[in-house]
Amino acid sequence: MKNDNYIVRPLICILAVALLGGVLISINTGAVNPDTTMLLGGMCLTLAVVYALLRFFPLGDHYIFMITSMLGVIGVIMLLRLQTGHGQKQVIWFSVGAGLFLVTSLVYRFVKHWNKLNKLYVAGGIMLFMATALFGYSSGGAKSWLRLGGFSFQPSELVKILFILTLAGVFTNEYKKPMENDHKIKTFYNTKLGRNCAATFVAYLFLLFLLLQRDWGTAVLFFAVYIAFMAVYGEDKRFLILNGVAAVFVSIIGIKFMSHIQVRIATWLRPFDDIAGKGYQITQSLFAIGEGGFTGRGIGAGSPYYIPEVHSDFIFSAICEEMGILGGLAVIMLYFVLVYRAFKISLSTNNDFNKAVAMGIGVMLGVQTFIIIGGVIKFIPLTGITLPFISYGGSSMVTTFLALGILQGISARRREIEDEI
Amino acid sequence: MQNILPKILTYLFVIVVYAFIYTIIRMIFLDIRTMSRKKNITKADGYLKLMNLKTDLDFDVKESYELERDNLIGRSNKCGIRIADRALSSVHCRIFKAEDTFFIEDSGSANGTLLNGESVADEVVELIDGDKISIGSMMFLFVKSE
Repeated sequence: MKNDNYIVRPLICILAVALLGGVLISINTGAVNPDTTMLLGGMCLTLAVVYALLRFFPLGDHYIFMITSMLGVIGVIMLLRLQTGHGQKQVIWFSVGAGLFLVTSLVYRFVKHWNKLNKLYVAGGIMLFMATALFGYSSGGAKSWLRLGGFSFQPSELVKILFILTLAGVFTNEYKKPMENDHKIKTFYNTKLGRNCAATFVAYLFLLFLLLQRDWGTAVLFFAVYIAFMAVYGEDKRFLILNGVAAVFVSIIGIKFMSHIQVRIATWLRPFDDIAGKGYQITQSLFAIGEGGFTGRGIGAGSPYYIPEVHSDFIFSAICEEMGILGGLAVIMLYFVLVYRAFKISLSTNNDFNKAVAMGIGVMLGVQTFIIIGGVIKFIPLTGITLPFISYGGSSMVTTFLALGILQGISARRREIEDEI
Repeated sequence: MQNILPKILTYLFVIVVYAFIYTIIRMIFLDIRTMSRKKNITKADGYLKLMNLKTDLDFDVKESYELERDNLIGRSNKCGIRIADRALSSVHCRIFKAEDTFFIEDSGSANGTLLNGESVADEVVELIDGDKISIGSMMFLFVKSE
């Protein structure tokens, strides 16, 4: 059948990309590294197994995981080429993430009442932030890391999901009729204005924590998600004005008083003024992208080591250098399709809460990609957040997989209902 | 020769990534097309529109159900319109069409079928555009399309 072709073809493409990447690394670096081969092989095996599970059991959407695997494979190729150790850990994280993806999708699908745990989400978010504030340590200008056992992770990554679930719950939970003996706050919460205020309160509380951690990139991300929810569900122009004023106010304070932000703005506007110092990172990134041209210098043939932090925040520049601007555009297109899927799932599910959650996840992925890619190509000021599925980093990989697992669960629920009726 | 091979492979790499994107988009496109085609085939003469707020109901139900020539409504899977409402019987009622007119009859349900607030009981009643049908904990509006 013609359709069978389409089932295996994306998988073949991914395997071909992995194979070509491995061969190119070997040719261009002049050495065959058995680790590279093994790791790429292992990764392909993992994703083939997960894909087969998705195909043969009714687990919902097939596209999300395919696109994610392609992004993951490109990331792993890049990391293996940069430093085998990083690539190795990334493959492990990818496999863990893919497993969690399946588990989350099943848990989300079969556990009900996700919309009734709002207080728990907020409490969890506050606790994670408090723990970071008390026990966290800083890396790259933001005090946002927490060490647990042998691992270090960024709690704010996890809070992202809690934040989306909270906002979705606040906006879509039904309005209870006011009782006589209800507390005033409870009565107020069951009005439109009350819901808007509650969402705003939670958003600003989390933003305050993030700003105290000096994690501006994630703060912008949270703010964008909150604005998206307000635009869709808020239906109130006063909040729009209020948020606009608040954003301008906080930006002015940041630009006036935070040296951290001043440096970012200065290197964004005039990176070549201090090319050996503060502007070094962004200028090297621009040189790398320019050096790549349309088709790139070939994987393993470039010199991405000039860019500091190339394995995490700046991996997109390395991709552009070695796979060319066409490769970079392909990556951006993959994110486009991924975000499109999120919105498609949001539109086609018929549960209001799930609709809101899927929308939030789509917005989060899209904005996160925009912030970091925009940052490294000097389109907007640079803020350090990860490129989902490509950047090196366990907590980012795992939590983004968790978010997509929720999306997968939602899509599976939808199919189930369609089949029954 | 040594320089050509990596160059070709580099091009090939990018081409394969684009082939992947093309395949995914094509699959999605095919999906959407079959979905919209399904909708066109079952262009019904009448449909049931849910009057309750979906959030008031604790089971999954669609906003509207298109009516075919013969429709059974109930909980069991032999019903064309299957809704997991606990207050419905396994086969609750039947809506069928004879010569451009829709009729409703109760299929011996436990909680009965109400048409505009009156019990249908053992009769076969003609449905008119705008009739309100109460079954289980739901209320549907019957809409006849011209």
